Amino acid sequence: MEGLAAVALAIALVGIGFWTLIVRRNLIWKLLGLNVAAGGAILFLVALAHRPGARPPIVGLGPGPSADPLPHALVLTAIVIDFATLALALVYVVFLTEHRHTQDVRRLERDEERGWPQP
Amino acid sequence: MAAALSGILAYLGCGLLGFVRAPRVLSLLALLGGAISFALWAPGFPEVLVGGLPWGIAVAGDPWAMGMWGLGLVLHATILLHTRGRRDAFQPLTTVLIGACLAAALSRDLFNLYVLLDLTSLLALVLIASGRRVRAVWAGLQYLVLAEVGLTLYLFGLGLVYGRLGTLSVTALAGQGPNLSDPALAVGVGLLLAGAAVKTGVFLLGLWLPQAHGQAPTEVSVLLSGIVVKIGVVTLARLSEAFPVGTVLLLLGILTGFGGLAYALWEKDLKVFLGFHTVSQLGYMLIGLGLGAGTGALLYAVAHGLFKGLLFLAAGEAVDRVGRREIAPLAGHLSASVAIGLGVGACAIAGLPPLAGFAAKGLLAHGAPAWARGVFYALGLGTAASFAKLVPLFRPRGPGPVGGLPVLVAAVVAFGLGGTLLVGGLLSRRAWGEAIMVVGLGYGLYLGLRRVRPRLPRWGFDWSVVSLLLASVGVVGLVALGWL
Amino acid sequence: MKALAAVALLGLVALLALGVSGVFPRPAVPSGEDIAAAWGAENVVAAIILGVRLWDTLFEILVYAMTMVGVKLGLRLLRWERPLPPVAETPLLRRSADLLLGPIVVFALYVAVSGHLGPGGGFPAGALLGTALLLLALAKGVERLSAEIHEPTLEWAEYGAIVAILALTGALLLVGRRGSAHLIAANLLIALEVAIGAWVVLHRFASSRGEV
Repeated sequence: MEGLAAVALAIALVGIGFWTLIVRRNLIWKLLGLNVAAGGAILFLVALAHRPGARPPIVGLGPGPSADPLPHALVLTAIVIDFATLALALVYVVFLTEHRHTQDVRRLERDEERGWPQP
Repeated sequence: MAAALSGILAYLGCGLLGFVRAPRVLSLLALLGGAISFALWAPGFPEVLVGGLPWGIAVAGDPWAMGMWGLGLVLHATILLHTRGRRDAFQPLTTVLIGACLAAALSRDLFNLYVLLDLTSLLALVLIASGRRVRAVWAGLQYLVLAEVGLTLYLFGLGLVYGRLGTLSVTALAGQGPNLSDPALAVGVGLLLAGAAVKTGVFLLGLWLPQAHGQAPTEVSVLLSGIVVKIGVVTLARLSEAFPVGTVLLLLGILTGFGGLAYALWEKDLKVFLGFHTVSQLGYMLIGLGLGAGTGALLYAVAHGLFKGLLFLAAGEAVDRVGRREIAPLAGHLSASVAIGLGVGACAIAGLPPLAGFAAKGLLAHGAPAWARGVFYALGLGTAASFAKLVPLFRPRGPGPVGGLPVLVAAVVAFGLGGTLLVGGLLSRRAWGEAIMVVGLGYGLYLGLRRVRPRLPRWGFDWSVVSLLLASVGVVGLVALGWL
Repeated sequence: MKALAAVALLGLVALLALGVSGVFPRPAVPSGEDIAAAWGAENVVAAIILGVRLWDTLFEILVYAMTMVGVKLGLRLLRWERPLPPVAETPLLRRSADLLLGPIVVFALYVAVSGHLGPGGGFPAGALLGTALLLLALAKGVERLSAEIHEPTLEWAEYGAIVAILALTGALLLVGRRGSAHLIAANLLIALEVAIGAWVVLHRFASSRGEV
C-alpha cells in the first residue's frame, strides 16, 4: 500500500514539476520545477524497489525478503546527476542575471529578438 | 575489452590531470592512448558484463562502437591541431567529453547510457558558455533544460522497463523478446524513446538544437554536431535493437528530416543554418534505423560527423574572421583554405561522388523499399537546394591560416573513397548518375525558390517545452497503442 | 498555451499511471547477498555502487567534478560591481564551530569508512566534510581561511583523488581485485573529492557574500 502511495506521489510530482516548468516565467522557478519532476522519477525508482514486508538490502538486517537493491544504487547516481544539473544551470542563471538584469524568460526572449540591446 | 576500458580510463585520467597542469601535452597523450587502445581492440570484441552477473554493465566492441571511436579520435585530433594556442580549461574539458563519448559508444546498458548522456550535456553547456557571450549562455541554458526534460522521461521509462523485465542490458532485453502489448512495457519503451529523441534533438522535440549549435564557439560546434549528437543516435540505435520500435523511428525520421530542411532552406545565419542541417540529416539516420538498415545508418552517422565537423570548422573560421554571421555578407571575404573546406563539406553533404556523403547515402538507399528511396531523394534534393545558398562563398580571397581543416578534409575524402570502394559493388552506375542529378535538380530548385519567403513559426522556450511534452506523449501513445 | 500544456501534462500523467499500474506486483528479485559477500561488503547497495556497477559510479563522479569545474568557470565569468560587506563575526558562531567541528569531521570519517557495512558512503561523507569546512570558514572568516589553504595543492588533491579512483576502477574491474579494503579506499577517495568540490563552490559563494 505504501508502495502505491509513493508511486502516485511520484507521478504527481512529475506533473507538478513540468507544470511549473512551463507556466512560471522566472528561470529559477523553472529550474525548481524541473528538479521536482526529476525528483518524481527518482521517487518512482525508489518505490519500484519496494516489496511488501521488505527489509533494507543490508546483510543480516532481520528476516524477510530484501528490497530490490539495484534501483537504490541507480537512485544514488540519479540524485547526484540532478543536483549537478541544477547547480550548473543556476550558475548560468546568475550569469544571465548579472548581464541582463532579469530572470524572466519572456524578457530574455524579447531581448534575443532585438539583438540583445544594452539593458 | 580490457584494452578498450583502459583506453577510456587513460583518456579520462589525462583529461582530469590537464585541469592542473600541461593541458595540451596531456590531451595529446590521451589521444595517443586512445588511438593505441583502439588499434588493440579494433577487430571488435563480444559483449562482456563489466562487474559480472547479475547487474554488471554490458559493453561490446560492435560496429557502432568502432565507428564512433574512429570519429571521436579524428575530431579530437582536429580540435587539438586547431586550438594550439589555448591554455585554459578548454583542452581538458574536450578530452573528458571525448572520453565520455567513447565510453557511451561501447556501452550497451540503458542506465550507463543515461549517465553518459547527462555527462555529455553538462559538458556541452560548459563548453558552449565558455565563449562568454550572453546569447551563447542563453542558448546553452535552454539546451541543458530541454535535454534534462528528456532525460527525466528517460529515467522514468527506464524504471518501468526494469520493473517489467528485470534487466538493463540491451542484449538481455532483446533476448526476452519484449512484447509491446503489455501496457507498462509499452509506456516504458515509449518514454525511453521520447527521452532519447529529445536529447538527440529530433525535430519538434528539439528546435533548440540549431540555436545551441550555432551560437557555440567554433570548436565547440564541431564537437557538438560531430559527436555529441551521434551519442544520442547510438542510444536510439541501441533502443531499436532491444525493442521493436522501427515504425515510430521511421515516422520521427521523416518528420525530423523534412522539418529540419524546411527551416534550413530559409535560414540566413550561416552557423544556425548548419545546425538545422544537423537536424535534417538526423532524419537519414533515423529512417535508416527504422528500416533496420543499421550499417547504412552507422556509415551515415560517421560520414555526417566528419563533414559536418568540417563545415562547422570552416564556417566558424569565416564567421570569426569576418565578424558577420549572415551568409550573404560573407561572400568574397573568405580565405582559400576556408573556402575549400566549405566547398568539400557542402559537396559531401549534398552526396556528390566520391565524397563521404555519397557512399553512405547510397548504402542507405540500396536496400530500401521504393517509397523510402523517394523520401531519400526528396531529402537529398532539399539538402542540395539549401546548400546552393553557399555557392557565392566559394570565391576565395587570398590564402589564410589553415588550422585543423586539412585533417577533416582528408578524412572526408578518404572516408568517401574507402566507402565508395567498399560499397561500390552495390552501387550501380545509375547511383552515380542519380547522385549528380539530385544535386543538379537541387540547384534548380534553389533558383526557383529564391523568391519565396514563407514565415516559419519560431517557438519560445515555454512553447518548446510544451511541444516537446506533447510530442513525447504522442510517441508514447504511438508505442502504447501498438500502431507498429 | 496553458490549455495545451494542461492537455500534454494530463496525457503524460495518464500514460504514466497506465504504465505504473502494470508494474506491480514485481516478480521476485535476487537478494544480492552473495554478491555483497563476494565484494567484501554487507551493504548490498554499496557492493553494487562500488563494485558491480563501478563503471557507472565513475561517470557519476565525473558528472560531479565537471559540474564543479563548470561552476568555477561560470562564477569567474561574472562581473563584481558592488564592494563586498564584511562578514559579521559573532562569538556564537565561533563557539559553536569550536564545539561542532571535531564531531562533524569524525562522523564524516565514520560514514565514509563504514559505508560498505551499513547506510553511508563517500558522497554523504564528502557533503558532511564540505559543510564542516563552510562552518569553519564562517567562524574564522572566509578570507583568512582561504589564505591558509594553498589553492594548487587543493586542485592537485581534487583531481588526484579522481585519478586514483580511475586507477582503482581499473584494479577492481579489469584485474579483478576484490575485498573490503578496496571499497573503503574508494569511499574515502570519493569523500575527499566531494568535500573539495563542495568547498570550492561554497567558498566562492561565501566569499562573494551571496551577492552573486
